[in-house]
Amino acid sequence: MKLKKVLALLLAMVMTIALVACGGGNQNDPAPSTPDPAPAATPDDNKTPDPEPAPAEPAGASEITLWTYPIGKWGDEATVKGLTDAFTAETGIAVKVEYLAYADGDDKVNTAITANAAPDLIMEGPERLVANWGANGKMVDLSDLIDDTDRSELNAAALASCTHTSGAIYEYPVVMTAHCMAINRNAFEEAGALQYINEDTHTWTTQQFIDAVAALYAHYGDTVGAVYCAGQGGDQGTRALVNNMYGGTFTNAEHTQYTWDDPLNIKALEQLKSMDGIAFDASLAGGDEIAKFYQGALKMAFCWNIAQQVNPNQADTGAEKTVTGDDIVFMSFPSEDGNSKLQGGIWGFGIFDNGDQARIDAAKEFIKFFCDSEHTVDAVKAANYFATRSSAADGSVDLSGVWADDPIMNEYTKLMPYLGDYYQITTGWAAARTAWWNMLQAVGTGDDVAAAVAAGAAEANTAAAG
Amino acid sequence: MAKQAQSKMSRVLQRRENVAGYLFMLPSLIFFLGFVIIPMFICIITSLTNTNMHDPGMFGSFIGLKNFSDLAKDQVFLKGLANTFIIVIVSVPTVCAFSLWVSSAIYKLKGPVLSAFRCIFYLPVVTGSVAVTVVWKWMYDNYNGILNSVLKSTGIVEKGINWLGDPKTALWCIILILFTTSVGQPIVLYVSALGNVDQTLVEAAQVDGATDLQVFWKIKWAQMMPTTLYILVITTINSFQCFALIQLLTQGGPNHATDTVMYYIYYTAFKLTEQSGHFGYANAMGVVLAIFIGALSALQFKLAKEK
Repeated sequence: MKLKKVLALLLAMVMTIALVACGGGNQNDPAPSTPDPAPAATPDDNKTPDPEPAPAEPAGASEITLWTYPIGKWGDEATVKGLTDAFTAETGIAVKVEYLAYADGDDKVNTAITANAAPDLIMEGPERLVANWGANGKMVDLSDLIDDTDRSELNAAALASCTHTSGAIYEYPVVMTAHCMAINRNAFEEAGALQYINEDTHTWTTQQFIDAVAALYAHYGDTVGAVYCAGQGGDQGTRALVNNMYGGTFTNAEHTQYTWDDPLNIKALEQLKSMDGIAFDASLAGGDEIAKFYQGALKMAFCWNIAQQVNPNQADTGAEKTVTGDDIVFMSFPSEDGNSKLQGGIWGFGIFDNGDQARIDAAKEFIKFFCDSEHTVDAVKAANYFATRSSAADGSVDLSGVWADDPIMNEYTKLMPYLGDYYQITTGWAAARTAWWNMLQAVGTGDDVAAAVAAGAAEANTAAAG
Repeated sequence: MAKQAQSKMSRVLQRRENVAGYLFMLPSLIFFLGFVIIPMFICIITSLTNTNMHDPGMFGSFIGLKNFSDLAKDQVFLKGLANTFIIVIVSVPTVCAFSLWVSSAIYKLKGPVLSAFRCIFYLPVVTGSVAVTVVWKWMYDNYNGILNSVLKSTGIVEKGINWLGDPKTALWCIILILFTTSVGQPIVLYVSALGNVDQTLVEAAQVDGATDLQVFWKIKWAQMMPTTLYILVITTINSFQCFALIQLLTQGGPNHATDTVMYYIYYTAFKLTEQSGHFGYANAMGVVLAIFIGALSALQFKLAKEK
């Protein structure tokens, strides 16, 4: 009987402890914490430019959280640890980092916002930070971080993209690039299609693109390029392809209306649909398309940029090579005269308004540290893109030569003059993206192109009207 | 007097036992209340409101049955509902029939062989759904998947089939995966049920000249009815709640061909769109789904009872 009692007591204790353990949550945390794959807050001597004997004592919050999408090596734990350690060493503020994937990152952030557990800092582009979370009043205005000197140093178009129509700046831009496409040079050579591309300028015309696809299809007898549309991932590629072929537009210049029911876009979609070798593939999203291109199944990728060129498919198997060792050449999107308008990518930091001024101040300190100091070079290099400003720290840090010693990055600068309008901040952007890939799926399944485009654009414009 | 004291003692003992019993149940009860009962009521209440992510407050404003009337006009929801019913109507009878057939074939086998079969069929159930889905995704791949490789190399098709990208095949591919992950448990249950059938009744029927079909239908099937009912209800609920496969493989595409109610609930509540976080509307879908599941389960209970 005694033994039974002891056993029952033990069992009850185990259950109670389990309950308490499952309850989780450090009560000392001022805000709900996130899983911590992040670094310990000790300085890394190798990466700290100005090592201190001990971390500085923070005046306000001692810890902030950063959620980052995989923007170059800002998605790599070892790299980010080096960066945040340097910040901690100088300010004494620890940074908890969570790494998001594009597949479900938005869902995680939305869930966190709903649960009042949003991170202090988030790293992504204006289409999320400005057009969505900012427009919904979830972000902190960063205008006080940007003075006249900053404005003169920052790329005006990038800063404009980070500014809401209300005038509030919801994102401090760090890096930018032009999205492009890529071809498998060996496959083009085998199919006799190299004649259709200008390898020096990385440009081609729409007719040359059509001829190249025909040559590739004649040689391989299968799909060589995929208009992927399983989801929104990488959709900048399909938008740029369709818009550039005959000069169609996605929004008006004022970013108040979606114009992708433009007859020139319909013409491009009908052309693509009619081409042997091009498939509207609802089983692939942008990342899947890159993987298929990297594996050699597809001979061209519409979802590409410098980060992919440097490290295709993020597989660490060598720059500018497929898994089979074929050469990859980055290309501008085809247009009638060869002068295309490339989709820009801008990435930077935003701060969620969690109502704790101390944490907001600490997050602003983080932004200033990586966007306007000697550490901006490290932030830019980690992202593998180009700096959004010519210099930092009141002109004392020159950022124009960050990639001077990198031949691939230098070659890629040939595409930067083709950077087009950053229309992703148009109101209703997230709904418009969804309508876009749904429209591509409808076209792919045989719906009338004009009707599908009109329905999609109408849906996007309903969202734009609020 | 002694009897009274004994009775009092027995009541005390009984109370002690009751208290101990409730204490043991308490942790589970807390979870059950916190994660099932309370959310259920919140779901029902918020389905009558415009609760959303953007406006403060847990319950938003009361809007009556507007969410439900909007659902009736929402083409994506109706498509999702139709797909959900196709999944249920196809997968429930096939899972039931297939598992009964396999169980009938293997339940008389000797120990180790029977165990081996049980393991084989149960493996997809215990394997994580993400792992299962990744393997199937690779098999369905239209560029270098094994299905297309076999079909092309044997000359059955000339060009690869885009299994998950073609609306004609996508939903059936989902149903096939659901089928393979659903048959394990019914097979194990049916094997047990068949082993527990009263052999004296079977032998008596055979002595009376009953055919194998008659023995199965009149004796075995009747005795397996509770098991069948359980399998029907569980498979129906699982089929109605098909979500992970859709999320991991098709995200409702192509062109809404694989949208289900469960996926659309998730999409409405959490996806990044200007309409996201419409919890009231998403919860209204949840209520509709629960009504359908409840009604179908009740129907199954009633039919089984009549049988």
